[in-house]
Amino acid sequence: MRTVDVIIVGASLSAAAAAKRLVDAGLETIVLERQALPRHKICSGILSPRGHRFLLENFGPLPREVLHEPVSCKGVTFHFPSMVSMPMDFFGGTTPHLHRKFSDHWAIQRSGAEVHDQTSFVGLQDNGDHVIVKARKNGEPVEYRARYVIGADGPSSPVTRAIYPDYPQSIPWFFVGQKFHEIIECPLDEQYFHFWFHPGLGHYTWSHARDGREIVGVGFKRGDNFAKKHLNVVNYLSDKHGVRLGDPLDDEGCAENFGPSLINRYVFGKGNVLVSGQAGGFLNMIGEGMSCALHSGAISGEAIVEARLRNRSVQEMYRRMIASEVRRTSDQWNPLKIAFDRPHEADFPAALMALSWRDRAKVLRDMWRFIVLYKEFKWGREIFKAAMLRPFIGGYPMKHWR
Amino acid sequence: MIHQESFLEFLHDMIPETSDRTSIEPGTVGPCHVGSDALIGIKRQQTNPTRWIGDSWQAFADVLRENGIELRESIAARGTFATDAGGTAYGMPHGVVIARSAAQVSALLKAAQQYRVPVTVRGGGLITEGESVAFGGVLLDMTGMSRVLHIDTDALTVRTEGGIFWHSLAEELRRANMDYLSAPLNMTSSVGGTLGVGGIDVNSPRLGCSADQALALQVVTPTGDIVECSDTLNAELFQRVILGYGQFGVITEATLKIRPYTPLRMHYFYYDSLRSAIEDLQMLDKNDASDYSGILTIMDCAVNLLVAFDSDEREAAFKANWQARLRGHGEFGFALCIAGRYALRPWKLGEAWFLFRRKRELFPELQRAEYMRDGKMVDRTVVFSRAVWKFWGGKQMVIPDLATSSEKFVEAVERGNKVCRKYFPHYTLYLVGIKLRPEHKAHYEMSCIPPDAEDWAYGCEFEPMIGGHVYSRDHLQSFKNAIYDIGVDLGGSYYRFGGMMKGYIRRVFGDEVVDRHLAMKRRADPAMILNRDVIF
Repeated sequence: MRTVDVIIVGASLSAAAAAKRLVDAGLETIVLERQALPRHKICSGILSPRGHRFLLENFGPLPREVLHEPVSCKGVTFHFPSMVSMPMDFFGGTTPHLHRKFSDHWAIQRSGAEVHDQTSFVGLQDNGDHVIVKARKNGEPVEYRARYVIGADGPSSPVTRAIYPDYPQSIPWFFVGQKFHEIIECPLDEQYFHFWFHPGLGHYTWSHARDGREIVGVGFKRGDNFAKKHLNVVNYLSDKHGVRLGDPLDDEGCAENFGPSLINRYVFGKGNVLVSGQAGGFLNMIGEGMSCALHSGAISGEAIVEARLRNRSVQEMYRRMIASEVRRTSDQWNPLKIAFDRPHEADFPAALMALSWRDRAKVLRDMWRFIVLYKEFKWGREIFKAAMLRPFIGGYPMKHWR
Repeated sequence: MIHQESFLEFLHDMIPETSDRTSIEPGTVGPCHVGSDALIGIKRQQTNPTRWIGDSWQAFADVLRENGIELRESIAARGTFATDAGGTAYGMPHGVVIARSAAQVSALLKAAQQYRVPVTVRGGGLITEGESVAFGGVLLDMTGMSRVLHIDTDALTVRTEGGIFWHSLAEELRRANMDYLSAPLNMTSSVGGTLGVGGIDVNSPRLGCSADQALALQVVTPTGDIVECSDTLNAELFQRVILGYGQFGVITEATLKIRPYTPLRMHYFYYDSLRSAIEDLQMLDKNDASDYSGILTIMDCAVNLLVAFDSDEREAAFKANWQARLRGHGEFGFALCIAGRYALRPWKLGEAWFLFRRKRELFPELQRAEYMRDGKMVDRTVVFSRAVWKFWGGKQMVIPDLATSSEKFVEAVERGNKVCRKYFPHYTLYLVGIKLRPEHKAHYEMSCIPPDAEDWAYGCEFEPMIGGHVYSRDHLQSFKNAIYDIGVDLGGSYYRFGGMMKGYIRRVFGDEVVDRHLAMKRRADPAMILNRDVIF
């Protein structure tokens, strides 16, 4: 059995950030990845400027090979059923359009950690002073003994399920799927990520250009029909925006845990096991999870280093340190922050004020109708309570975290 | 289109990654494929270095041992140096060498050049951004060279080894009834480290920074030559080593100016406005009205202008000519002002309670009986180094700062103060002037001294009171970046413990100056081994 300081499950950006901090501090770290690397990853790849800066400062300038075409994204355009469109440029300039297959691999290699790919996490046993991690490599069982484990294994995290078996049942799940179309005619500006606040289309509807194709994606509550939902969006884009697309050449989809960031129900692990990235519930408002994955991953690594240095509980350190990332992420969903501050990396209030009074009213009405789509999840009261508490306690209550 | 096969080859070539094999030349900014308008204003540099893997480590270690150099490779020896006073950067050297002599340091650097092993030099370890944290390679602990070699009470100079802490130097000088001129506020910094960075004190408005007190140095160059230098001997090396961020050599010995010891008489004036206090401070400095001056604050609520004097004559002149022109209050008058202010703002009672607690804890510490005789402070070393750091510092030093010309200083402080308020409930500011020496202009190039400063530069440290709180590195770094960005905006510089930072140096000084210094660095340090990733 291999004995190391830390096992990280997953080889994503969150894992790379955690590994970077741990390796820098001289901790022996192994990254376990289920697939052979480099591996495919379903993602828009539109990284926020904050995430770009993290990658740059920790792993160096991005090689061309880790970027899709177009290599960058200028901002986000919101579209509304009343046919008002609001383009918003990112603060600080354009941002990378990551090819996750290669960017994740590049980052994990740059972290300096030892990577064991084709090794599936099976389960773990926390024995107080160490954790036994069970995995399978090429069908054969393999075990590791580690002082700490970090779960950075995405929204359907096996690590989270191993320590909280009831977690999958405790939150609503969504499905996000995207299809890649040949472009016949597309008036949508390829320099922007396009998002539709349209309750008739889905809970999360987007489109953007990639490698000469147009991605049309839609997210909805699990259980609905992807093909039907997707076709509805394609027809809408054709009717309302003049987007003419060929038949889809490829498609993909995955489950998403969309709610934890909205209602401050993050999952950070227990004992010697930490959970980071989207496994922990981090997701920014426009669905970009990479920047908070990078930062929360780094914080999980820092927490382990600090806990060893100060001889303190790793959970205590992690929860106190992660509070800043919780603020950054949950602020993006906080209506008071959206109205009176600038929690996003693009200026929504300024874009709104650039519209005529009439269009502003239409936008606000359409947004309200869109928000009503989420009524069934009963998040409104929790979002309101968290928003009201935020100025008084300087953050979001830790007692709601698991 | 993505050329997958070629990228896999690219990744393969990149592994194992070593600093020697990085595609980006140290000191340069790599290509950005995202776009020229990405991350506007931020240079595309990796500021948290990749760990040096150490392919040539064993051969290097063997050579050191053959040369009789003790190399410590145990985890305990290396772990001691895992972080710095900032506590946000962590790294582990492959081995630690404790400096014993210039000859030993020379042999170490010669071997390091040959095997291209990074050498990170550490004095007091008081830097805050990981500048003396080794991300692999060898860590050279200078505290092994900590002797005072000679005190010349006639010429008023001291010759000391570079690794000595300032408080130890002060103690030795005191035995000869002598005193240092200008030392950094935290006296557990080393002399060598301070000369490479700056060092400010409450007498800097009159005497300049600590680095200005150096008359001559013994330096071991990155290629291992032992060179004596001064403004007249090997002047170019002297100019680069002073305020040079440790890029051009290791300071093994230094000759510093000293003076006869005198006790101080302190006066405190209290303000509720940063602007008024700064204007009064600058007025005093400009008119040479005091021997020591500076501002310490409790947030922006209680602003304390302190002035001090070496002699009764100077104190009398101050009282006769300048005291009446100061707009600050005495302790009692200020207490009344504060009471009035918070009576009208009852929702800020928490802040008032904090001020009261701070006053109750802090004031007695600045006037402890064992350091006072007849109303005079007999040991400023202890008072400033102990009391100030006990009450302002914490286990983790997060102290970004700004240095600007006199004209821009008020704006810099006011903008920095807003950043502090945004990030932390409690903080303190420390503001001090730095008298510039025209004859040292060559020392100041690409240093903490702002390029546009004339006669005086002014520095302000923004220090959150972290106490027992735990913050993520990202939170602390975001705070520091917000402060540093003000410096970029105003065309200022940074008077930090670690001096300039890699991520900011080109933004502050521009490519022409940085590239010129980089060319000098490459000539002096062909393998770019000495204090890698600090600025280049």
